[in-house]
Amino acid sequence: MKRESVIGLEIHLQLKTKTKLFCSCSSDYIGATPNTNVCPVCLAVPGTLPILNDHAVELGVKIGLGLHCSICDNTRFHRKHYFYADLPKAYQITQYEHPIAVGGYVDIFADGKEKRIRIHHLHLEEDAGKLVHPTADGRLTGASYSLVDYNRGGMPLSEIVSEPDMNSAEEAIAYITQIRQLARYLEVSDGEMESGSLRVDVNVSLSNPDGSLGTRVEIKNVNSLRSIERALEYEIARQNKVLDEGGHLVQETRLWDDVAGVTRSMRSKEGERDYRYYVEMDLAPISAGPEYVRKIRESLPEMPWEKLERFTREYSISREESLQLTEQKETADYFEACVSEGAPAAKCANWMRMEVQRILRDLSIGINDFPVPPAELGKLIIKVEKRELSNTQAKDVLAVMVEKKVSLKEAVRLCGISDGRITGPALEEVIRKIFASEQEAVETIKSGNDKKGAKVKFLQGLVMRETRGSADPAEVASLVNCMLN
Amino acid sequence: MEFHKLSALEIAEGVKKGSWTASEVLSAHLERIKIFDGQINSVVTLSEESAHRDAKETDKAVAEGKDPGPLAGVPFLVKDNFCTDGIRTTCCSKMLSDWIPDYDATAVKRMKDAGAVLMGKTNMDEFAMGSTTESSIFGPTLNPRDFNRVPGGSSGGSAAAVAAGFCPIALGSDTGGSVRQPSAFCGVQGMKPSYGQISRYGIVAYASSLDQVGPITRNTGDMAAAMDVLAGPDPNDTTCDAYERPSFSQAAAEGIKGKKIAVLTGYDAESMDRPLIEAIEKAAGYCRSAGAEIVEAELPITMKHAVACYYMVALGDASSKLACFDGMRYGHHADGRSLVEMYKRSRNQGFGKEVRKRILIGTCILTRGYYENYYVPATKVRQMIADEYAELFKGVDALICPISPALPYKKGLVEEDPVRIYLGDAFSSIANLAGLPSISLNVGFTEEGLPTNVQLMGPRFGDAGLLGLAHVIENKAGSPPIADIEKKGGCRE
Repeated sequence: MKRESVIGLEIHLQLKTKTKLFCSCSSDYIGATPNTNVCPVCLAVPGTLPILNDHAVELGVKIGLGLHCSICDNTRFHRKHYFYADLPKAYQITQYEHPIAVGGYVDIFADGKEKRIRIHHLHLEEDAGKLVHPTADGRLTGASYSLVDYNRGGMPLSEIVSEPDMNSAEEAIAYITQIRQLARYLEVSDGEMESGSLRVDVNVSLSNPDGSLGTRVEIKNVNSLRSIERALEYEIARQNKVLDEGGHLVQETRLWDDVAGVTRSMRSKEGERDYRYYVEMDLAPISAGPEYVRKIRESLPEMPWEKLERFTREYSISREESLQLTEQKETADYFEACVSEGAPAAKCANWMRMEVQRILRDLSIGINDFPVPPAELGKLIIKVEKRELSNTQAKDVLAVMVEKKVSLKEAVRLCGISDGRITGPALEEVIRKIFASEQEAVETIKSGNDKKGAKVKFLQGLVMRETRGSADPAEVASLVNCMLN
Repeated sequence: MEFHKLSALEIAEGVKKGSWTASEVLSAHLERIKIFDGQINSVVTLSEESAHRDAKETDKAVAEGKDPGPLAGVPFLVKDNFCTDGIRTTCCSKMLSDWIPDYDATAVKRMKDAGAVLMGKTNMDEFAMGSTTESSIFGPTLNPRDFNRVPGGSSGGSAAAVAAGFCPIALGSDTGGSVRQPSAFCGVQGMKPSYGQISRYGIVAYASSLDQVGPITRNTGDMAAAMDVLAGPDPNDTTCDAYERPSFSQAAAEGIKGKKIAVLTGYDAESMDRPLIEAIEKAAGYCRSAGAEIVEAELPITMKHAVACYYMVALGDASSKLACFDGMRYGHHADGRSLVEMYKRSRNQGFGKEVRKRILIGTCILTRGYYENYYVPATKVRQMIADEYAELFKGVDALICPISPALPYKKGLVEEDPVRIYLGDAFSSIANLAGLPSISLNVGFTEEGLPTNVQLMGPRFGDAGLLGLAHVIENKAGSPPIADIEKKGGCRE
């Protein structure tokens, strides 16, 4: 019988507060000169005490509710002890026995089907500082000394611990993507793996033939979705190989080496530290009663999966289209603003997915930086619907709006289109194009062989078709005649 | 004018009225410290320059007709584990021997804001771990009532200084009796308020859930005045309660007529020093004559388990709170070939024997296996003790019991019989475990001139009522005199 891989994830989300978890230092530490974003509290100066940042609790509750967890009142912080240079108090303040949110789930879509992944719990904790090793590769090995930067120390994190409900790398990636999307929707975290505001520890084992769980291995140092995927594939293959060869696995923590593409043993279970957890008495229990939770629940925006479902239903667009449009809340908002101008939803969806996406990609910008207001795009689409503009023209107009950052009206004017009609130089351009593709007819006319004027009519008809009726037939006739002579 | 004989309230009143200046009062006290502290070693750092500056500020405020504050010109000393802006704060340990904080503890700031003048820092057991003030790197403090005896601890320097007339108010910290037991030993009044009454911000922690700041004075009027200044919420300490405090001074004057006061029974009185049993009878008698009803109370759970429970909770926490002293950012640093070796050397060299012992025991208590068998039961017993007291205070207004089972120890006992000294915390540590207010009140002296005293305990945040009780007893017993430190050997009248 084939062994099944069993995957559980721990996701650390850096919460988007203004200040750190237990002091008033700024949370905007990236790029700051080392050890400037610090204070007596986060440096553990004797006599100082932690003060809980209420906003961090609120964000924790938000994401907890988003994950369908139960929110617990009067939960406590614990101290997790270990000596290390990045931890000034020599203990990390974290939730241990009593996390603020427990027992939720999130639905993911992977391997072509929907699947429910259970959430064990979500807890709040502070981040540690960062060690800097002055070696070429930034590693400890070979360094004659190390430097420590406490700027990150005390940043608020929420750790989301899943049940071991995933069975493939694809499911793991889908799960992370779903959590990240939720965090961004709720504006709880930036959820960026590159900057470290979303970090993942992976637990993977292979189930035994009798269905029982195998030996669990934790993988650390996976810093992108791609490395998580590769690390999982590598590790699953490695574990299978060990077992196939009759060996046995040890419970351990392994480090992913992204360059070599392998995991390496870091420490085994036997060497597991005793963190001497116990209740943090410098902080009162966290108050999160039913009334408080109710208020936060009521303030929650539409969840991404709710939006997806509604888009598909309300706008009669495909699930695929809805997925793309709801991937980011900002994109979805833009789309809906566009539709609210009266433009047909299906057309808006198409424009958003094709033209707008292309422009965003070309300019390497996000929807927030897209210079065309959604109402303007809506109006543009309506013009196309009313055949005041051809598709080609509309694309040109949009390009001008983006490039020159001008209004729809101004862009139409710049494109030589007035009153919604194709006229002047723009019309001449269309006629030239038609002439170029119908050279035989043009020659016939010019050589005087179009006695009945049928070829002229034919050319005029082509122009009218190309301009989708948005040109004045009289102007078309006069210009065609003029340009033939 | 013998300024050192004045109470804090008398000094402040005179400063406000212009009878004398804060600077005069300060100079007299500094002079007295310089002449006589060589005898008892109660002060470890004097900050004369900043003190003179602060006194002048107060005098300037008076001259300009501004309110100089309720403790205008009152010179005070604080235990060396209170952070003081610009003044060395050592916890009397090699670990912090050259550490100068850049902020004032909230308690210190509140005293200064009330017009009081900080003169310096007092001796203590290293990191507040001890009951004799003998483990300080600055050498032991002697008991100003009898130089052959210890002043108690860990706030021994503060209690001795008040007894010696070096200042009318000194601050200490109390984790298991560290304000009250030395107050008892030195024959002064000491209070540990309810947990959450005074901010702990700026106190180098021993045990987060037990530590509390307390004033030491020679009379309850000054104590209430100090409480009025010290108590209050603090945004820097969320364990400090937000409730609105009553006027402690007013409450202290209210009397106890019709109150029901319990006297503790059911403990091993035979093993106690006889004068301390008599002190309790005396105090109970005073209460009865002031119109209170006296009843007896037993606290079986508390008396059986308090000391063991206290050391589990306190040492577990101490091992955690003292982990930050790793030689990295402040404090004693020793080089090592690795990070771990650096930690080991820094901590082994920086901490003294008793501190290392307590950290080791505390680490053990929190270690898997021991944690479940020692620490967790201790926290449960702690709750049972708090419940036992809550039940008691449903029926009575206050409890009178011993604060220490013994008169001041002879010097060096801690080396001979450390366990006896640990057991000496049996009565004092209860208030910390249960978060209750407690006052150690002097009620007289033995024939040899050793102070006798009682402990008064009340319900959580019943601090004001407790001060009222203390005030009544003090009125009958008299407030203790200044130790006759001029005559070597102390007060033998």
